[in-house]
Amino acid sequence: MPPAAEPAGGTRRPPRTLLLIAAVLLALRIVLVVYQVLHPAKPHDLVSWQPIAAAGNLSAATSKPILYDFSADWCGPCQKMKLELFSDPDHATALNRTFVPVTVLDRSREDGENAPEVAELESRYHIGAFPTLVVVRPRGDPRILTGYTDADATMRWLAEAALESHRHAAAPDSAGAKP
Amino acid sequence: MNEALILATMRQRVTSPVRMVLLASMFFMPLLFVCFAPGVGLEPLSNGYGLTLILAAGIIGQDVSSGVLQLVLARPVTRREYVVSRWLSVSLMGGLLASAQVLIAWLLLLARHAAPGPAEAFSRMGANALSAFGGAAVITLFSTLLAGFGDLAILLLASFVMVGLYGIGELVHQDWVTRFAAELGGFLVPEIPLDPIQRAGDIPWVAIVSYLSTVTLCLALAIVVMNRKEFSYASSS
Repeated sequence: MPPAAEPAGGTRRPPRTLLLIAAVLLALRIVLVVYQVLHPAKPHDLVSWQPIAAAGNLSAATSKPILYDFSADWCGPCQKMKLELFSDPDHATALNRTFVPVTVLDRSREDGENAPEVAELESRYHIGAFPTLVVVRPRGDPRILTGYTDADATMRWLAEAALESHRHAAAPDSAGAKP
Repeated sequence: MNEALILATMRQRVTSPVRMVLLASMFFMPLLFVCFAPGVGLEPLSNGYGLTLILAAGIIGQDVSSGVLQLVLARPVTRREYVVSRWLSVSLMGGLLASAQVLIAWLLLLARHAAPGPAEAFSRMGANALSAFGGAAVITLFSTLLAGFGDLAILLLASFVMVGLYGIGELVHQDWVTRFAAELGGFLVPEIPLDPIQRAGDIPWVAIVSYLSTVTLCLALAIVVMNRKEFSYASSS
């Protein structure tokens, strides 16, 4: 059997083209990351948030449960939730259709104290961490979800809370809850 | 690319009993979840990286420690051909398995009237296949650095460093540290999320560039490392 021929250029030719492409892509990646750090994308919130004071009346008029979103500017998971949940067209539409959404922004770290209505709501629902979602139904106890894992799990929880709210609303003799 | 090397690698991978047991459990366990809890949708499925990790562990390092590499390179096979063929082999296997897993899960869900739309299933299959090709490139690079299963040790160490940096960044509120940790994570687990394209038509350019950069860099470095290695029947590595 004749010996196999040695490939042209030897068996250890440096991968010049691949190295060049890798270097160009790496440089582009660094530029994009630096740009992202310097110009962070602001999530476009698509949820129609209602003022705290108007939520009770709106809930009574529309028979929708109130969804309180307790968050803070410094809270990383809150920003993630805003980006993945409140900026997503499908999720935002579902939230607007199902709830009277109210965002409750904690400013105690920045301003030293919160506005009275924010402090009152945080005290009423014993808010100790952010983000916390509270679904307040016309009747029955509020449902509380503390923390954020991902959009799908949170939407599932919200769908269950809304369904339970409708069941309670249909029941004739349930205890009432203050929104 | 060398067809004989690709086929030989595939044969080598599927004849390892431990690998096959691990692969079968990682393939079928999530399908059992889907079967008995259809409400969870496609969530329990792996992203292709885990399956590829099992297939790719020791992809080059095992050849080095067993002495097979000296024999392979005694033939007129270029080192770049060897590296690319090994990477392509496990990538194809990992990508096919991960995509098949999504397809089976989707058919199971369809039979129980709980399936997501076909667009979501196809997007998941594509993302898994990309994850398999990316993960295999990272393991291939690590495997050229240490013999045996040293690639897994490097991956584990780098993961610890990433988690540690992320924790430190969160603790001291230094965004650049957490960002560096995130980039390191993106290097270790290269993937392109296809959900934004499928849902809103948004193309994740940064993720695409990061993914391509990781794959090309890993392969180029793996070839450079292999080119610099000296193998002889007398050497130990």
